[in-house]
Amino acid sequence: MIVEKWPAQLGKVVLWTITLLLALGSVAPPAKATTLAELIEGAKKEGTLRGQWGQNSFGGSEGFKEILAGMNKKYKLNLTGQYTPGPDMQRLMLRVIQENAAGQPASTDVYLGNSQAIFDGLKSNLLRPMTYSTFIEEKPKPEGKFNAIAADGTHVAIATAVVGIQYNTNLVKGADIPRRLEDVLNPKWKGKIASTPYAAGMREFATPDFLGREKIIDFTKKLSAQIGGLMRCGEAERITSGEFLMLVFTCGGNDVNVLKRTGAPLGHTVIEEGTVLHMRYAGVPKNSRSPNAGALLINYLMTAEGQELLWKHDGFDLHLFPGSQTKREIEKVRAAKGKVIISSPQWLASFKDYSKTQKELEAILRRAK
Amino acid sequence: MKQTLLRFRLLGEKGQTSSALLSLALVPMAAILVLVTVMFWVSIQKGAVGTPSAIYTLNNYSEVFSDPFVLRVAANTIIFTITATLVALLFGLPIAWLAERSNVPGKTLIYAIMTLGLLIPGIYTAMGWTLIAHPRIGILNRWLVDFFNLNNAPINIATPIGMGFVQGLSLSALAFILTAQMFRAMNPTLEEAARVHGMGYGKILWRVTLPLARPGILAAVIYILTIGIATFDIPAILGLGNRVYMLSTFIYLKVHPQGAGLPEYGITGVVGAFMIIVAGLLTLWYSQVLRQGHRFEVVTGKGYKPALVPLGRWSIAAWCFIGGYTFISKLLPLLLIAYAALTPYFVPPSLEMMRQLSFSHFYGMDWELVLRGLTNTAILVTVVPLAVLLLGFSISWLIVRSRSRARYALEFGAFLPHALPEVILAIGALLLSLFVLGTTIPLYGTVWLIAIVYVVARLAFATRALNGSLLQIHRELEEAAFVAGLSTFRTAWRVLLPLIRPTLFSVWIWSALLVYRELTVAVFLAVHDNITLPAVIWSYWYSGSINKASAVTLLMTLVLTPLILAAWCFGRRSQVSAQ
Repeated sequence: MIVEKWPAQLGKVVLWTITLLLALGSVAPPAKATTLAELIEGAKKEGTLRGQWGQNSFGGSEGFKEILAGMNKKYKLNLTGQYTPGPDMQRLMLRVIQENAAGQPASTDVYLGNSQAIFDGLKSNLLRPMTYSTFIEEKPKPEGKFNAIAADGTHVAIATAVVGIQYNTNLVKGADIPRRLEDVLNPKWKGKIASTPYAAGMREFATPDFLGREKIIDFTKKLSAQIGGLMRCGEAERITSGEFLMLVFTCGGNDVNVLKRTGAPLGHTVIEEGTVLHMRYAGVPKNSRSPNAGALLINYLMTAEGQELLWKHDGFDLHLFPGSQTKREIEKVRAAKGKVIISSPQWLASFKDYSKTQKELEAILRRAK
Repeated sequence: MKQTLLRFRLLGEKGQTSSALLSLALVPMAAILVLVTVMFWVSIQKGAVGTPSAIYTLNNYSEVFSDPFVLRVAANTIIFTITATLVALLFGLPIAWLAERSNVPGKTLIYAIMTLGLLIPGIYTAMGWTLIAHPRIGILNRWLVDFFNLNNAPINIATPIGMGFVQGLSLSALAFILTAQMFRAMNPTLEEAARVHGMGYGKILWRVTLPLARPGILAAVIYILTIGIATFDIPAILGLGNRVYMLSTFIYLKVHPQGAGLPEYGITGVVGAFMIIVAGLLTLWYSQVLRQGHRFEVVTGKGYKPALVPLGRWSIAAWCFIGGYTFISKLLPLLLIAYAALTPYFVPPSLEMMRQLSFSHFYGMDWELVLRGLTNTAILVTVVPLAVLLLGFSISWLIVRSRSRARYALEFGAFLPHALPEVILAIGALLLSLFVLGTTIPLYGTVWLIAIVYVVARLAFATRALNGSLLQIHRELEEAAFVAGLSTFRTAWRVLLPLIRPTLFSVWIWSALLVYRELTVAVFLAVHDNITLPAVIWSYWYSGSINKASAVTLLMTLVLTPLILAAWCFGRRSQVSAQ
């Protein structure tokens, strides 16, 4: 029931008026062809780059420092940077949307996030169109209908996270490592494995392009009776401590790639039925204080050095580049004839029931035995 | 003797001072009213709240009240909260009595132990208890299963009662501070009279001391109850992972969708609206006690010296009790923090891991970020407690001394922010600063916005403690001062404040510590320049870098511990000299 009462109407009028007035001063000029040289010149004048994203994303503060140092070296700049740990990708996107609506500068000069968040940003007309296809030197080849650089120039795919199952390598070994969907329903795992409170992976598997809604709803009901509890992606210590032996499914196996280097007993596997590629995107908000520096960061992440830093700090890179480490994992799935779906904002927009299905899956997982 | 009735008046010397106090008291009330209004406004929106794309609807209310999951959440929350309150009183109240009404040795150490607990984030207490009493990996369970040859682990910490126990341990420090001052100020005359008539110490405690302490105990109960309803860290670590949901984790799931769609702030607004009713009921209950306040006035114009109960050999039992509590609630989490700070990744303790201890996480820290957070936290810890004391005293004096019915509104207003989930206050402050104050009053992204929310949120703690102390001071002391010609302001300065100095000191230090460890508002309002140290620690922990989070926490605990010990030594010395 939608109730249009006078406070709401008045509020809307006020907000639209403010937005319109502020938009006159804050809206970016229309995108024009921008060369890399112009971008570098613009960044020099801006002088500062502010980044905000989660500590567990893109290397957090350490990743930001190295990326900035790499940018300064490559483009002969002297940018100062300020990183602040931010909330999860959805909440950060909402914050930047609200800042833009209020005429405030964005918390972050460049937004890095997942396809769902970019989808919300596009709906709110937040992202600044830029001629990425002109100044990005190393453009990856498209894969089918998927192109890393959005046609409208608002966002660029910079990395790929592969959804699978995370497990404790000391306690799950050899033939026990799950290969197919139903392997996790083996009675030996009852009460010992976990899933996520937001049905990571399963919401995409439920789409018609993959296993379909009914099959995944049925699977999730069985999984809900099987699991011992729920944990967030990124809570790897609950796997390494043995509290849970597996996480079904992950938001992407990239954190395992990083933690394995410390000797943590973690492994990541992809089921034979297939996987979803959770893409990571970058875009420049319209209310960014340093749009040129932000766009330059995106360009840098699309270079070989940038991709190496993403692999180093966050355990992933863009699978469309020839030398990509993530590509090897995906090729194993393809070799086993598994399906590979790319989760992009456009793909999400094509499923009207996506949110409804997710809520239903979440409710099933929440039900304790 | 002239009977002086304090009322809210606009004219006359005393009236002007009362007006000054009233003005001070109304400042936070106005802020609270605005934040609550924003909360209701948020509760009728879906989508990107505050932006033109938001939809206005009452669906949030029907969603919450028609969802059977919400009933389960409510039931769990009630069990959890009651357990936490009882456990908090079980430890906090006896330790407070021992510290203030007995001759147990080492009282400064007791205060320090109870205070230091606030330096330990609740997430570590929860993680520590996972390692102890988790059904699968808990050390205690493993030992019990092996020793008694059991089929299943007998202890499950991941139930509402189990979690309530853990939460109660961490809240007992608050129960301690809210009741300790009240015990200190008690006039021993009534207890001595009971002893003269042949009552034993146990009966005196049950029939004289505890009834006299009822307002203070009730204040503590109400305060802890409302914390228990909204507390997040322990339900998140122990409960969320085991699908035992509390109100706080329910709100968390709505505010952190992590998948499809934007955060559902509207649902949080609905929860806040419901909590106002709960706050109202609790305030009503408390005001019944305040109305009988004169019965608890034990500090009078006649000289008194609090007598201490001699414990003799019972001191050993007392310290065993305090030591046991310290071990399970403070020492274990501290050891866990130290262990996590020094190991390369987190696994249960073992000899193999002990061989891999190193300081690598300290070297790899982003020290610029840590120092930025520390600077902002230092500003907050300095400014907020002073503001809380000033405004809290104004409110408490008006509540306790005034005969006007408006004092109940003040009482309700001071308590209300405490009853609301902190995320609601944070959302309200965020939207206000963005869309209303904007660039005219540029508070958005500043530490001052966080400070304002903290002051509003901490008023309930200050007024609980100050109400209890002021109630115990008989009006005749003020009346004597008025008769002698002192103004209301000078009466407060020269009569009241010295008598409640221990409470003021406690409120100051505890407000500072509560501000130091506050997380929800800090994380929500952190933009760039205003990030606080707890938000930095949280960002590491939330991102899976538990080792780095532990490293920062350990460092700060080591730095702050001597400062807190020094503060308590100074405070105790000045309190003793005042006596």
